[in-house]
Amino acid sequence: MKLTIKNWTGVATWRWVANDDNCGICRMPFDGCCPDCKLPGDDCPLVWGQCSHCFHMHCIVKWLQSQPVNQQCPMCRQGWKFNNK
Amino acid sequence: MSLKPRRVDFNQTWGAIRDTIKGVITLDHVPRPIWNDRFSDVYSLCVAHPEPMADRLYAETKQYLIDHVSKLLVQVQEEGEQSLIKSYYHYWSQYSVGSQYLHSLYLYLNQQHIRTQKMSDAEIIYGSSDSSGGEQMEIGELALEVWQSGMIAPLGQRLVKLLLEAIGEDRTQKTCSIPIDAVRGTILSFVEVQGYKKKGQLQLYQELFEEPFLKESGEHFKRDAAKLLQEKNVSLYMERVKAKIEEELLRARRFLHASSLSKVSQRCETHMVAEHLEFLYSECTAMVQGERKKDLSNMYDLLKSVQNAMVLLIDTVLDHIKTQGLAAIGNIDTENIHITFVENMLGVYKKYKLLIQEVFKSDQNFMGALDRACSSVINHKFGKPVCKSPEFLAKYCDALLRKSSKGISDSEVDEKLAESITIFKYIDDKDVFQKFYSRMLAKRLIHQQTQSMDAEEAMINRLKQACGYEFTSKLHRMFTDMSVSADLNNKFNAFLKQDNIDLGINFSIYVLQAGAWPLGQTVTTPFTYPRQLEKSVQMFENFYHNRFNGRKLTWLHNLCQAELKLGHLKKSYLVTMQTFQMATLLLFEHTDSLTFREIKESLQLTSEQYHRYAASLIDCKLLIADSTELKPETILRLNMEYNNKRTKFRINAAVQKESPQEIEQTMNSVEEDRKMYLQAAIVRIMKSRKILKHNALIQEVYAQSKVSFAPSIQLIKKCIESLIDKQYIERTPHSSEEYSYVA
Ligand SMILES: [Zn+2]
Ligand SMILES: [Zn+2]
Ligand SMILES: [Zn+2]
Repeated sequence: MKLTIKNWTGVATWRWVANDDNCGICRMPFDGCCPDCKLPGDDCPLVWGQCSHCFHMHCIVKWLQSQPVNQQCPMCRQGWKFNNK
Repeated sequence: MSLKPRRVDFNQTWGAIRDTIKGVITLDHVPRPIWNDRFSDVYSLCVAHPEPMADRLYAETKQYLIDHVSKLLVQVQEEGEQSLIKSYYHYWSQYSVGSQYLHSLYLYLNQQHIRTQKMSDAEIIYGSSDSSGGEQMEIGELALEVWQSGMIAPLGQRLVKLLLEAIGEDRTQKTCSIPIDAVRGTILSFVEVQGYKKKGQLQLYQELFEEPFLKESGEHFKRDAAKLLQEKNVSLYMERVKAKIEEELLRARRFLHASSLSKVSQRCETHMVAEHLEFLYSECTAMVQGERKKDLSNMYDLLKSVQNAMVLLIDTVLDHIKTQGLAAIGNIDTENIHITFVENMLGVYKKYKLLIQEVFKSDQNFMGALDRACSSVINHKFGKPVCKSPEFLAKYCDALLRKSSKGISDSEVDEKLAESITIFKYIDDKDVFQKFYSRMLAKRLIHQQTQSMDAEEAMINRLKQACGYEFTSKLHRMFTDMSVSADLNNKFNAFLKQDNIDLGINFSIYVLQAGAWPLGQTVTTPFTYPRQLEKSVQMFENFYHNRFNGRKLTWLHNLCQAELKLGHLKKSYLVTMQTFQMATLLLFEHTDSLTFREIKESLQLTSEQYHRYAASLIDCKLLIADSTELKPETILRLNMEYNNKRTKFRINAAVQKESPQEIEQTMNSVEEDRKMYLQAAIVRIMKSRKILKHNALIQEVYAQSKVSFAPSIQLIKKCIESLIDKQYIERTPHSSEEYSYVA
């Protein structure tokens, strides 16, 4: 072997895979956080519904709390179910 | 003695009192028993039966004092005009003390008779009582009143004339033929004689003496100024005037009542400074440019007394600092321009701050001028499209925070970083600084070039203090990602161990939040991994995606780095390099020569971006090219003769440097961020206000963004338009100059 890799340090960025740029509830970009948070990322995660719509977790939780009965996705009005893929 | 009221013979009792008060008022010896007897005589007259005789006692005492003072008036004048002040003072000293004793002797009359019949304050205000003259005074006050009308009234003008002459003599000959005590005592008698008054105690002093004194002094100052002006020397003139003011204050302290001191210096300043500003100003520019400290300090002291006179001096100092600052940081064209910029600018700042402390007593107006001058210099564009200061300052910080062998101590680094905040505060485009700073911080962190985490954090805290949490929150997130990544590496290694997987290399990774890192990597570089890396990359991607739902990983190849062992040479070397450099070298594992085109094609890199990496390998002599210019057909081969004293080194420094394109990219991203920031601000404001007029909106947006940059009105308008397009806000139906929030 003429040349051997001893160490390699990779650098990568991560972003949410969402089908939109902005949260349909608070309208803030998914790269940023919901209005109640200071920092985006692990502290303000995204969640997906089975309808495939996606929101800040804090935003959808708040929304669902305001709808005691008949909880629907605010975008498509289908019944809301978390998608735990 | 009996306290019981009884019948008293007034003439006999008054006769005894009169004989005693003669001794009291002239400070003669009055034996204690006699004093006690007279004290009770006063009492017995006041309570006499059947009618109290207090009023008669009062009238007789008053008449006695009048007669006494008129005798003294004759005596005072007996020794002629030359001795007038001396004699006046002699008799005044005696009389003023004597009258106090007399006041005590008449204690009962004062307290029981006069005070009770005096009008109450309320009665004075509402004028219900008749105050036409007949009112009685306490005996001490009465005595002084008699002195004023019997002595000062007839003699005052003559005394004042002599007093002014005495002071004039003191001014010109520095001596006074009349004892100072007598002059001062006479002047102060005009105040003391009013000592019982509740209001306007100084009125007599001011009208009789102070006014003519100030008038005469003013004339004197004018003449003095005219004489000094003939020498046509501003420095000398200022020295003399300062000395003159000192001298006059000293004189005033010696002769006058304390209330006159400021009036004296004011007169002096009016005639010697305020009336000759043009003359003083004529030398101002030369003084400032020559930084003549003594002169400047004198000028400051003198101008301070005159309203608005300082403005010209302040402006001249401001211009001077600006000129010096521009000269210090313009036209620098050294390799380390960022260091020269910061050090020279700090030099200018410190120099003039010290000068202002020393010469202008840290006056806020001058400190303000220093601020304005520094801000104007630091934000100067020197003919370039953008101001380079934010970039230079960020580079300066980077050089200090980066691992280096320059041998400066941690405390020196800390001190220099602390000082750099001085310059930071003056920068208008703080967001541009932040952009550069965060890019450089990112590279320090990713390439493990950080000298000390403590120093990094201390610096971020300084920036936070200067600009607030929002300004540094992205920087904080970068630190967070570093520790999150460390944790992730541990978990990945544990996973590998558990599943018994060998990657063949030491693998580690930084996974960064896209929004937090200013890496400008929007388009990902297509790149084929070397075979040796494929497994590692694949394993990690699987591991990550299993762990984190809904996240997409993007590799930043240009930031990845490797340590490669070179085994084809006489010695074996460990070389730290960038991934594209590594990938290039690895292609030579099974062959000795390749064309530039072949390399590019197997790595699938575009030529522009790849060029610098290939060139860097030739520059450091690990590869040899058969032509100086890199063309597709250029043949590259491994340098089998390579030799280096060090066996462990890095060659990625050259490709890590900020390229001009990166700098341009940085500036562009600043522009983008500004738009984002402004749009967010507009939405925030409109959401809380619902309806707002155009100008009010612009103003609020401007105020909010000022902390980190000064947006152009143009840009704010653009952002408003684009928000209207996106239907976040709309124009209200009744006015195009008014917006409403679309909920
Ligand atoms: Zn949201
Ligand atoms: Zn949140
Ligand atoms: Zn939905």
